[in-house]
Amino acid sequence: MKKTVRALLPLFLVIGLVLSACAAGNTYSLDSIPDYSGSSYVAVNDNQPYFSDTDLTTTSLESYSNLDGLGRCGVAYACVSTDTMPTEERGSIGQIKPTGWHTVKYDCVDGKYLYNRCHLIGYQLTAENANEQNLLTGTRYLNVDGMLPFENMVADYIKETDNHVLYRVTPIFDGDNLVASGVLMEAESVEDKGEGTCFCVFCYNVQPGVTIDYTTGESTLAESYTPAAEGVG
Amino acid sequence: MIIISCVDDNMGMMFNHRRQSQDRVLRESILESAKDSKLWMNHYSAKQFSENNAPQINVDDNFMSEAGDGEYCFVEDCDVVPYLRWVEKIILYRWNRRYPSDQTFPIGLSAGGWKLIHTEEFAGSSHGKITEEIYTR
Repeated sequence: MKKTVRALLPLFLVIGLVLSACAAGNTYSLDSIPDYSGSSYVAVNDNQPYFSDTDLTTTSLESYSNLDGLGRCGVAYACVSTDTMPTEERGSIGQIKPTGWHTVKYDCVDGKYLYNRCHLIGYQLTAENANEQNLLTGTRYLNVDGMLPFENMVADYIKETDNHVLYRVTPIFDGDNLVASGVLMEAESVEDKGEGTCFCVFCYNVQPGVTIDYTTGESTLAESYTPAAEGVG
Repeated sequence: MIIISCVDDNMGMMFNHRRQSQDRVLRESILESAKDSKLWMNHYSAKQFSENNAPQINVDDNFMSEAGDGEYCFVEDCDVVPYLRWVEKIILYRWNRRYPSDQTFPIGLSAGGWKLIHTEEFAGSSHGKITEEIYTR
């Protein structure tokens, strides 16, 4: 089934690029996002995704943006269903080094490693492995506390209902930074017009206890870090 | 009344005015628990049971004011705290997953003196492991 989806990819890519301009450019700006203050995400646009009614389709699809001139990933867009979900164990992605990638460890980070190769659209939704257009240099906190709970909610909704969910993840880079400030995650269930699942959130690409230079991805232990103050989503 | 609620690993119940998750096998388990009594819920929750032919279901948006002793209340998006003094038992179903939440289960179980008297795990229709916990005062 996944091969069928891929065969239709060029058509959907065109659609996806139009949509991405709508989400990442015209109606959404990093300026409107409050500074990180302890929660891994913040609701955007009153938690309503920027999809239009004509976007809602029951045709499973995936599209991923070409890397930009700096090698950065862009909008990932999908109509997720059981057709796009994995049927086998996840493969290796260690050979991909997204922009800003550093292998660095801190004791204050769960699992030690500051950065994870974050799937824009999680493996449990579209079964993408080492697709450089779907991988982002993201903190452990972004991956586990920020994005994963939303992916879980969408995946379990689809498995239970066999419905489709329109799903878009937009990495937000400030200027020419190589590390994204965060990701905009949008989702809307199709058959019930968002009654089952619907959200629009910005997840912060931060790591409590670590200061990140977003232009390069270099990092240092934060001087003022106190574990008790760490927020979880 | 006997409260029935579903929670994630952070005791979350709802996000953006929607339940975090649902499961067909869990619904059947709830109906079985309440088969010899009344199962109260509001219209939002009743939609989830629309395919179940369940005579024990009573739908009322003010259902916690209506429920009597020994009757079950399925609570998803409403506040149980004002009715806490009438709660005899709590049946909590844990998804064993992390979801986002902006509404959490409001009763502090350990701080409130609730005692865990029963735990049982079962596989749902779309959840690998759901844990049922029963608490009494």
